[in-house]
Amino acid sequence: MSTPGLTAAQAGLICCETCELLTRPEHPERPGHCPRCGAVLESRRPHSIQLTWALVIAAAICYIPANLLPVMNTTTLGTTEPDTIMGGVVFLYTSGSWPLALVVLIASVMVPIGKLIALTYLLVTVQRGVKGGFRERTRLYRMVEIIGRWSMLDVFVDTFTVALLQLKPLMSVEPGMGVLFFAAVVVLTMLAAETFDPRLIWDSGTRMEQKK
Amino acid sequence: MNENNHHDDLPQATLVPKKHRRISVVWIIPILAAAIAIGIAVQRILSEGPTITIVFKAAQGIEAGKTFIKYKDVNIGQVSAVQLTDDFSKVKVTAKIAKNAAGLMVEDAQFWVVEPRISLSGVSGLGTLLSGNYIGFEAGKSASKQVAFSGLDEPPPLTEGESGHKFTLHATRLGSLGIGAPVYYRSLEAGRVIGYKLAPGGKSVEIDIFVRSPYDKYVNTETRFWNASGLDVSVGASGVNVRTESLVALIAGGVAFDDPIFPFDRVQATASTVFKLFADEASAMKQPEAIAQRYVLYFNESLRGLSVGAPVTIVGLPGGEVTDVGLDIDPKTKKIRGRVEIVSYPERIFGQMRGQQTAADSAMAHNIERRHELVRQMIEHFGMRAQLQSGSLLTGQLFVAFDFFPNAKKVKIDWNQEMPELPAVPGTLPNLEAKVGSILTKLDNLQWEKIGANTQKALESFTQVMNEADKALIRFDSDVTPELKSAIEEFRRATVSANKVIQNTDATLVSPDAPGQQELRNAMQEVARAARSLRVLTDYLARHPEALIRGKTEEKP
Repeated sequence: MSTPGLTAAQAGLICCETCELLTRPEHPERPGHCPRCGAVLESRRPHSIQLTWALVIAAAICYIPANLLPVMNTTTLGTTEPDTIMGGVVFLYTSGSWPLALVVLIASVMVPIGKLIALTYLLVTVQRGVKGGFRERTRLYRMVEIIGRWSMLDVFVDTFTVALLQLKPLMSVEPGMGVLFFAAVVVLTMLAAETFDPRLIWDSGTRMEQKK
Repeated sequence: MNENNHHDDLPQATLVPKKHRRISVVWIIPILAAAIAIGIAVQRILSEGPTITIVFKAAQGIEAGKTFIKYKDVNIGQVSAVQLTDDFSKVKVTAKIAKNAAGLMVEDAQFWVVEPRISLSGVSGLGTLLSGNYIGFEAGKSASKQVAFSGLDEPPPLTEGESGHKFTLHATRLGSLGIGAPVYYRSLEAGRVIGYKLAPGGKSVEIDIFVRSPYDKYVNTETRFWNASGLDVSVGASGVNVRTESLVALIAGGVAFDDPIFPFDRVQATASTVFKLFADEASAMKQPEAIAQRYVLYFNESLRGLSVGAPVTIVGLPGGEVTDVGLDIDPKTKKIRGRVEIVSYPERIFGQMRGQQTAADSAMAHNIERRHELVRQMIEHFGMRAQLQSGSLLTGQLFVAFDFFPNAKKVKIDWNQEMPELPAVPGTLPNLEAKVGSILTKLDNLQWEKIGANTQKALESFTQVMNEADKALIRFDSDVTPELKSAIEEFRRATVSANKVIQNTDATLVSPDAPGQQELRNAMQEVARAARSLRVLTDYLARHPEALIRGKTEEKP
């Protein structure tokens, strides 16, 4: 469908990541700085795959307690009730507000797990040098990057609720451990998306690979 | 194209694939995340105590994940599931117990549902109105562990840490007592009712009470318990007495206990001691009648108003009670007569004596021969007889009174009968009735018309007298009054002149420059002088008594 064509790296050139000036590297090992904007030139982000893997795995680990541990401890008249994310979704759904339940489900459950799956898919395909679907994979990467911050929604809601609902002794809300892990998931996936070098998608299946 | 040329001129850079893949520092992040997650998981698993199941009759207000198990108001576990038992008759509650409370899950641990209970004696579990029901827990003493329990229907009455004793009371009916009803000792709340059940056989009620320390040590084997519910209103010579242990007891009922008023052997009661719950304080304090002597009395008069339990008095003091009222046929005359069976309590009679007599007579109370001799003497020599007397003219209640009738016919008591017969005399009440009746007849026979006529005559003459008196008064008014008036005026004039005389006298005597006053003063001075010379004289005479005979000798300087 789409052919990768010649990449800058194959041509021995480096595109500045900041101002996108195509330059010749000073030395293949030490490319130097961009003559226009002064940014450090890199043909590919160093250890991109390894870093991304590490962050994705860390996020995946954090995702488990983020869902199991309560994100919020609601104390109503002496009774403390822990609320997990899924518990909240179920509560919203059973209490009739399914659109809200859907929003929470998408923003807080599906988006993080979707990001993790997408990043894993990108990493695996890049490592295995899968040819084809380059444009789709790039689009997927862009989506991951854009969507990333939106899953902080849950953390925001939590923060607001905790700050606003302090009607002691009638009712109070305390943040749970889960929200820390949830924030960690979001931050780690955002970082993973950042460390992943999308140019790697195009490296596979190009002439350079064929040369090898 | 220019670009192309340019491109061709450029030297070919070669990409050196990295052979050695250094392990990046970034792997610390997933390792750290994993470590934390595993740490939390391990902590969770380690802190997880045993899972227990409790079977309740009903799971009122118990929700999985929301209901806690509390011991001394501390959460020690949480309900994780609520299901029906396999036969659908009960509810099986599965609960996770905290690790540190695992040791409490022993054989005789107790579980019950705590819900708001509003009874007259108080409100309990009010907190659950807001927090929802929870499962209460009471630790057991056993050492063997258990995970399957059956819950109690009612909260157990005791909470650990309260020292005291449990006692069992027997009552014919529960009355208004409920669990939690107070137990009073001298109007102090000393404990509470902790349970009740029908006694085996269904003839009485067993009431369990708990008496707190230090009140429990006042419970001895002779302690009297009575139902302190409601008001005790008594009307006596001193007025109306209203007594109640407390307002709570008034509404919710209660039990009171105290030492009996009679002497007894103090033996500390144990938990196994069973007490009788009396209906009221008076009956509780009644001395047990160890010795009872039964007698029968025959009356030839109406027994209406005499009921079983009516008192038997001896010279007006209680000495026994009526045990049966019935009929009897006189074996001699074949006449139906009233039969009254009484029981007398010698101990009570002799207990009313004082000092040394008590000791002697309590021996008499226990010695049948001597007692019979006493009774025989009373009856045969002093004429003691039974008589029906009216306790109250209003209600017509009768009681049996023993009094002395020295003129009564002599009788002999046959002690060989199972129930010796005591002689009786007709009651005063029928006599009274007869007298009142005869008075009424006499009244009836009076010639009312004659009396009326006489009265009228008397009244007429009285009117005449009154008229004359009136006339006399009028005459008095016209004849005497003017005279009286002038007399009064004379008298007033006389008073005025008398007043003047008195004023003059005042001027003569009282005013400082009055001549009388002056003279009086002079006279007084004279008297003073005279007194002085008299003193001189007496002094002189004291020193020279011979002067009385010889006359005053010239003193030598």
